[in-house]
Amino acid sequence: MIERIDASRCPACRTIVAPPASYCPHHPVAMEPVSLPGAGEIVSFTTLHSPPTGFKAPLHIALVELEGGARFVCHGAETRGLRIGSPVAIEAVGRVYYFSYLGVVDRARLFWRRAGHAGDRVNAIARSLAKRVWKG
Amino acid sequence: MLDVWVAGAAMTRVGKRTERLQDLMAEAAHGALRAAGVEAPDAIVVAAMNPEEFLGDGNFASNAASHLGFAQAPALRVETATSSGAAAFYAGFGLVAAGLRRAVLVVGGEKMTHLDTPRVSELISRSIDPYERSYGATMPALAGLVTRALMANGVGARELAQVAVKNHANGLQNPQAHFRHAVTLDEVLESRMVADPLRLLHCCPISDGAAAVVLTARRAAVRVAGIGQGSDTLALRHRAALTSFKATQAAAREAFAMAGFGPERVDVAEIHDAFTPFELISLEDTGLVPPGKAGRATLDGETTLHGRLPVNPSGGLKARGHPLAATGLAQIVECVWQVTGRAEGRQTQARVALAHSIGGLATNNWVTLLTAA
Repeated sequence: MIERIDASRCPACRTIVAPPASYCPHHPVAMEPVSLPGAGEIVSFTTLHSPPTGFKAPLHIALVELEGGARFVCHGAETRGLRIGSPVAIEAVGRVYYFSYLGVVDRARLFWRRAGHAGDRVNAIARSLAKRVWKG
Repeated sequence: MLDVWVAGAAMTRVGKRTERLQDLMAEAAHGALRAAGVEAPDAIVVAAMNPEEFLGDGNFASNAASHLGFAQAPALRVETATSSGAAAFYAGFGLVAAGLRRAVLVVGGEKMTHLDTPRVSELISRSIDPYERSYGATMPALAGLVTRALMANGVGARELAQVAVKNHANGLQNPQAHFRHAVTLDEVLESRMVADPLRLLHCCPISDGAAAVVLTARRAAVRVAGIGQGSDTLALRHRAALTSFKATQAAAREAFAMAGFGPERVDVAEIHDAFTPFELISLEDTGLVPPGKAGRATLDGETTLHGRLPVNPSGGLKARGHPLAATGLAQIVECVWQVTGRAEGRQTQARVALAHSIGGLATNNWVTLLTAA
């Protein structure tokens, strides 16, 4: 299951931030609540070997660009094989968000939702398959 | 707007110091006043990032002014995290340029080596967005995210390491520097991981020290040709780009516009290299090196003491050290010494110098341009 992440959008510039903020960082206007799917792509990640008090080493921290645009900071259990651009899911464990590699089922579900109407789905699937074959 | 001149500049040796912060500030301040031939300033601007937590001292403008022996001089304190020294310089510049004061003492310093490293790291990290901090993000962690993105853009490990090699070589020539030893490329490349892919020898040390300048409306040897401030979101996740800092770009635009010349006129630069990747990013953000070329220029030796554009002749934050609120002023002190031929052992042929300071994770940055009169 893909979780939903609480976020907020600026009515003036459409910037979305997560978690929600009272005001847009770029405009002095109140933001509107929105929610985003807890999935996206790795923008960057790091591993802290001497994390601050209260955290266990090694501490994996990632910056993830959520579908819908907002960037989100979260933890991860490991970074082996992880790259910038890797698709990840975001899940809350307690009140802390973790990224994990996006499973095949989740990716298909996301893809399905993105593809929209049934007529477009077939085309989108064909395009995606073609792209995958071409990319190897 | 009146012309503003740097009439005197001085700083303490940077490193692990046993003196009180107030005494370090006095050493720098009295030195700058002596160099300027000014007996007493009309006003004082004090930079200290966090004396409340590091030392337990507050009301620090008055605290410092009284200790310096100028209890009657109007004093104020300026704080913008790690660029506080540059910010105080800006405030002092404004007072003189506006005609409010004729001779302003600007003094900045920090004392923190008496605390253990995790505690210092925690206190410095309080300048990070609280949500990101709640995930354990420290300055090195955010710099690690920036470094990985930079390397994905094609910057190589040798390019990042060479910045440290060069700045340590410069620090070797600077009697005020915290580190006075060389490091090799291999030592940097093999140093302990701090925040992958950022290594220990990519990072500046924790240092004590103070620096001061006297700004006057009266003509002196060095003129403040331009000064600019730029800012950006507190949260790194609210920015679209990781590999350039908008705050530096805005500060540089403003400084060069005020000066009426471009980056091609700059002979020497002091750049905020708290982490070596920041020197590469900032060289491009200030326009001193074309986009994407800073790593190559560094490997080719363009930024060494004898290169086309010497960068961080003092050793930079990496080797001179980073006593937080002193740093922005220590950079300006080095620039003053460079353009007036007083940088013994590391003198460059410079008439125009640029100082660049980063506050927090590039949330509040300055670019200052100084020219020999």
